[in-house]
This record gives sequence, structure tokens and C-alpha cells, in this order.
Amino acid sequence: MIKILSLILFILLALVGRERGIKTFFTFYLSLLLIIFYIIFMSFGLNAIILAIITCILASVISLFMLNGYNVKTKASFISIMVVLVFIFLLVFFIGKSSSIQGFSNDSIESIGAYSFEINYDMCDVFIGMYLVCSIGTLIDTSISISSAVNEVYENNKKITQKELFKSGMNIGHDILSTTINTLYFALVCGFIGFFLWHRGGTLGYLLNYKVFAQEVIKVLIAFIGSILIIPITAFISSHFIINDSY
Amino acid sequence: MSKKRILLIALTILSILSIIFVYNDYFLYKNTILKVTDVKNDYKENNEYYTQHITGVIKNGEYKGKTFKVNNTAAKSKVYDDTIYKNNDIFVELSKDGKKIIAINDIKRDKYIVILLVLFIDLIFFITGKRGLKTLISLLVNIIISTISIFVVSKFQNFNILVLYILVSILFISLSLFITNGKSRKTLAAIISSIVSLFTSFSLVFILIKFFGDHLSIWTMEYIEIIYDYQNYFYVSILLCGLGAIMDISITITSALSELIEKNPKIKTKDLKKSGREISKDIIGTMTNVMLFTCFSSVIPMMLLALKNNVLLSDAISLYGELELVIVLSSCISIVLAIPISLYISLLILHRNKRKVK
Repeated sequence: MIKILSLILFILLALVGRERGIKTFFTFYLSLLLIIFYIIFMSFGLNAIILAIITCILASVISLFMLNGYNVKTKASFISIMVVLVFIFLLVFFIGKSSSIQGFSNDSIESIGAYSFEINYDMCDVFIGMYLVCSIGTLIDTSISISSAVNEVYENNKKITQKELFKSGMNIGHDILSTTINTLYFALVCGFIGFFLWHRGGTLGYLLNYKVFAQEVIKVLIAFIGSILIIPITAFISSHFIINDSY
Repeated sequence: MSKKRILLIALTILSILSIIFVYNDYFLYKNTILKVTDVKNDYKENNEYYTQHITGVIKNGEYKGKTFKVNNTAAKSKVYDDTIYKNNDIFVELSKDGKKIIAINDIKRDKYIVILLVLFIDLIFFITGKRGLKTLISLLVNIIISTISIFVVSKFQNFNILVLYILVSILFISLSLFITNGKSRKTLAAIISSIVSLFTSFSLVFILIKFFGDHLSIWTMEYIEIIYDYQNYFYVSILLCGLGAIMDISITITSALSELIEKNPKIKTKDLKKSGREISKDIIGTMTNVMLFTCFSSVIPMMLLALKNNVLLSDAISLYGELELVIVLSSCISIVLAIPISLYISLLILHRNKRKVK
């Protein structure tokens, strides 16, 4: 099934995006491989948070520099992503640790029941890392959209000041924010219908404090917060880089 | 400017108040809540499980203000059991005479959700200003529609959920695009192209799975036991996962084309197609990555648990990763298909109209 779908995706990408499409296909699989290696290395017992951060850095390198080339735009995006990543990490770290966000709950007892829970590995760190990896895709997407647009504005009017460039970057950011949030909402909520059906008798107070609900809502909100924060940061860094690079 | 400043100050005060409120909302709960004031961990060597000696004060109900002691079993790996920290609020069950705690039910997590929610709303207003309101309204509408649809599904169990969600997704598309872009020919073009792309790609994937997807272990999906027609539940996930991304692509392409037509009404169809292609090349790469990281990351904990239990990698992937990967690949296919479809439809709607005017 995976092979058939991949083949169709490959053909479509090649038809629609030509060379760039084929490149996209390979980046996609490289990123998938990256996630799988991330899981394998975790199973070896290396620290989950450090591995997640390395995965995020590599993911940005792959989709920025391999797909879009090494230039001012991608450099600015890369630095902006790292800045936001640090912020999100601190946020998730404190919230995740104090709310015991880790692990599974009663809901999945049937699928995890066969396994031993004594894995000698901190599951809380795994979840913190997962939130970072979950947000990195949208960070890359938003950031590269803004920095290319800022660059485009500069190419059309080389006399523009840094402040004006920053402003147009923010403007573009406003335009993409609502669609980004939409994309994330559907991508993250689609699997949630079952949860609500399962707990349909539950009160709001019960749901709000329930582990799985908290896990999912925190995941969605972290991705949202990341995709907002990346806007001013990329607008600032890319306008700074582009202006200073031209000297 | 000053009006804006007043609004932002009001927002800040409101945010602080709501966080203070959620830290003290004990009276809202019927269940007894214990605020943890001290935790002593009693580790045992070579043992996964350890005991936490917890001291805390009851915050609501009959025994408010009384201090209690209770023990909790926590696990070092934190796979299933909760770990309790100082300053956590926990739901507890008291014995009938109110002398001791007989069970710890859950951790009170509402405050963390509210903190993040407040942060999210504040950031939207501080960074995007008034325009952020539209984003929030469209998000709220989506949440309301989702809630109603789930309510319908749970009330009418024998309803075909796939048919229901096909109808709901049309509603999702029309409302979100309408709210964020207003009433215009551009919005109409985006709505039509989203709907056409969604159904083209969904039918394609639907047929493929019907023919080649016999081996897919759909029963491993979570919560599947509760759903009457679980086959359709899987299709609904595929349908909804790429929905937002399709809208994203179609609005990007239609806006760009309408901008070009507006700037130069005499622009040739050939040139429009070429620019559309250029724009789309830039977005597909990162959009497919968004779908991959956002959706596929949810399989990480389960696959890790399996690998830690010495399950072979290939088995772990096919057990816990395959379905999610099918969903991700299907959404990627719909993203790619959405490009030529929205290009063609927006040319049809936007460009033909210009010719008529002439």
C-alpha cells in the first residue's frame, strides 16, 4: 500500500513540480528516514530531548539547504527556526515536566498491555521531544515563506530600508497565519474524533484534566504558538540579513 | 494608536486574571482536590517502581484546609503511571469518614491548557493585531463544527460517518475560506478548487485502498472499538487530515493569480500558468514536510515502546507506523493534486470573467 501511494506521489510530484518535484519526493523520504532513525536511536537509550533537538536541526538543514539551496533566505530562516525552537523547548519543558504529560493512559491499555513498562527510559522526555518534532514542519514552512517573500520585496526595490522590509515581512506573515493554523488544526485534530466518542459521557471538567486530552491540546497549542512566534522573528532576522548582505 | 494600546492593556489584564482564576478554580470541581505541598521520593535500588510520600492540603469540599498524607506509586520510565511533583494539584478520593485518602485519581491539568491558550491568543493579538481576530473566529467556527459533528456521530451510531464527514468537510472549506477572505470571486474560486481537489484525491486514495489495502491493520487504530463502521473511520481520518493543507494551497494559488490579473488585466493565460507553476514549486516541498512531521510524530511513543520491548523494527513500523504513513501520503497526494486543479479552476473563474468585461 505504502509503495503504491509513494509511486503515485512520485509521479504526481514529477508531473507538477518537474525537477523540483523529484527533489521534494526525496527530501520527504529523507525526512521520514530521519524520524525513524530518531526513534531507533532513542531505543538505544540516548537522551530523548537531545535526540529530538538534533532531529529538528537536521530536518531544517534537509528542507532548507537541500531543497532551497544555501543562500541568504535559507540562512535567515535557519537561524529564526533555531531561536523559536529554543523558546518552544523551554515552554514545553516546564509545562510537560510539571503536568506529568508523559506516557499512555487507560485509553490505549489494549494496545500497550502486551508490553512491559519497565523500559528504563524517561517517557516524559520522549513526549517533550515529540512536541518539538511535531512543530518543526510548520516552523520551516512559515519561515521559508516569509524569508523568500522578504527577499522578493527587496529584489523589486533595492532602496528599501530594513524597517520597511520588516513591515512587509510581517504583512506576509499575517496573510499566511490563518491558513497555517487551519492546516495544523485539521492535521492534528483528525484523529481526535475517536477520543470524543470514547469519552462522550465525560464532563468538561473531566476532559480538561484528562491526560490524553491534555497531551493533544498541548501539542496543538505548541504548534500554533510556534507558527505565530516564527513570523516576527523571521521577518526581523531575514530583513536584517538581506540588507546587510548587500553591502 | 492609543485605542490599540488600551485594547492590548485590557487583553493583558484579562489574561493575567484568567490565569489567576484557573489556579484557584477549585470550587468548580465536585471531586476533592489536594494541593501537594511536599513530596518525598523513596527510591529502591534495581526497582522500576518507587513510592512517593505526598503531603498536601485539601482545597475544596467538606474537608477544605485539612492536611493529608498519601502514598503514590510512580515508575522511573513514566510509561503509564503519573509522577507527582510539589505544587501539583491532584484529584483524590477520600474515605467515607474523611480520615484518609483512598485513591489518587488524576492530576489537575486545566491550568497548563489555559496558560498555553492565553499565550496563544495574546500572541495572535500582539503580533497580528486586528487581523488576528479573523484567524481566531475561523478557528472557533471549525471547533464548533467539529464538536457538533462529533455530537451527531455519537447520537446516531448507525449513521454512515464517511457520508457525514464528506458533507461536513464542504462546510469546513466554505466557512473557513469565507471568513478569512471575505466575499469575492477569489474566495469562490478557492472554495471550488478546494472541494474539487479534495474529492479528486480522496476518490483516488479510496479506490486504491479498496483494491490494494486489504492487509492494512485498521483495527490497530486507537479508539477503533467504539466506532461502528471502523473502515469508514479510517477514511474519515484521511479525508480530514489533508483538508487544511488543500485549502492552504488553493487560497495561495488563487490569491497570487488574482493579484497578477489585477495588476495586468491583459496578461496571457500562458504567462499566468507559468507563474502559477513557479509559486507552486516553492510551496509543495515545505507543505509535504509539514504533513510528515505534524502527523507522523504521533507514532513516536508507541513505536519506541515496541522497540524497547524488543519488537523488530519492521514489525514496529508495520504495526504502528503504516496507517499513519498512509494518511500522510494521502494528504501529500491531495496537496500535489490541489496545485493543477486550483490553477485551472481559478483561471476559469478569474480570467474568463476579465475577458467578458472587456
